[in-house]
Amino acid sequence: MLEVIAARRRVAVFIGLFLFTVALLTAQMRSVDRRQVGPIGTAALTLLLPVQAGMARVADAGTRWWRLYTEIGRLRQENVRLRTEVDRLSQDLTAAREQAIAARRLERLLEFRPQPGYLAVAARVTGRDPQRWFSTLLVDRGSRDRVQRNAPVVTAEGVIGRVIEVTPTAARVLLIADSRSALSVLVQQSREAGIVEGRGASMLHLKYLSRTAKVAAGDLIVTSGLGGVFPRGLIVGRILSVSRQSGALQQEAEVEPAASLARLEEVLILVPKP
Amino acid sequence: MYGGALIVAALVQTAWLVRMPIAGAVMDPVLVLAVATGILRGAESGAVVGLAGGLLQDLLSGGPLGMHGLSKLVVGFGSGLFERSIYIENPFLPAVAAFAGTLLGEALLNIVGVVTGLGTVSLRDAVPRVLIQAVLNSVIAPPLFRGIRALDLRFERQH
Repeated sequence: MLEVIAARRRVAVFIGLFLFTVALLTAQMRSVDRRQVGPIGTAALTLLLPVQAGMARVADAGTRWWRLYTEIGRLRQENVRLRTEVDRLSQDLTAAREQAIAARRLERLLEFRPQPGYLAVAARVTGRDPQRWFSTLLVDRGSRDRVQRNAPVVTAEGVIGRVIEVTPTAARVLLIADSRSALSVLVQQSREAGIVEGRGASMLHLKYLSRTAKVAAGDLIVTSGLGGVFPRGLIVGRILSVSRQSGALQQEAEVEPAASLARLEEVLILVPKP
Repeated sequence: MYGGALIVAALVQTAWLVRMPIAGAVMDPVLVLAVATGILRGAESGAVVGLAGGLLQDLLSGGPLGMHGLSKLVVGFGSGLFERSIYIENPFLPAVAAFAGTLLGEALLNIVGVVTGLGTVSLRDAVPRVLIQAVLNSVIAPPLFRGIRALDLRFERQH
């Protein structure tokens, strides 16, 4: 019996509250703004709205901090991406500059006019003798490319040396600055003959010039064609200074190589035409 | 005590949780409190807490008074109908009850919205949002249920 009464009371309370709410909602819908809080609601809002506004400000501040935090993370990622991009572009730029410089060097090589009876074989310098910087260097052409021992090696600027060792795919070049190197030359203007020797330094030494020879600083030195190694007329260098010792039978001179021996990357090897 | 919990829950929801929607769904601790009260204390208490919490939400959210009140009144009362037929100690009860209560509450809210002309319902949009909201409410239900039980115990000790 008590159960039934309790159940009825429950239902009655529910129906009462339901009707109250429906009536409230209906009244709301009939009001101008569809909202009419009344004096009780106004009182409640007077108490609660400041709290709600304060909480909203806290939430807004939290949201701003969160946005700032995520923005920092995004900026970090963007920074890493941009740094990677800059590195990549720097590498590309370096490679492009390297290619441009190589292209200019190769253009200069193409300016060389091969001697009659010779073919010019282009070769890349692949190594240098680390013990004596100016003495020998390795190139990536060998007997497969018809490179032979004693083949002259030149650049567009002038003679740089001759081949002293040959393998099928590589060759070693003895530079004219090496102390083992000697080649027969002529002073271009006066046609005086002499021998240019290397001294293991950047400058060459011209000797066996006759005492009466008219040579002066700035005169061009070319190969004489004697000796069977270098063809006639290849530029060797330019006289820097002449020394005439009293009582000596000959004159000597300091010669600056025409080719930049310390900065060789591509060279031409002259091989006889088949 | 219930009044304080309701006020805090309504303030938290209208000031904070509405700013953190997840796929359009917002947690509704007031609804979970109504469900918990109904199950733990009976249909009448559930109905009263539901109605009070809903009206508070309406008051603080700026909508017409009675929309949330009506739906939560029904949810709180409906939860109380199962008071004696379910095993209260079941660990899954809070989550399951909150899930079912959310579905019922949202259905009622949408019906009231349509009937009063306040809005139309697109099932394609509403269903996923309501399901996500039900899951979110299920997640917060266990601690809220424990909180209500703690309040009850404290109330019983004092009286």
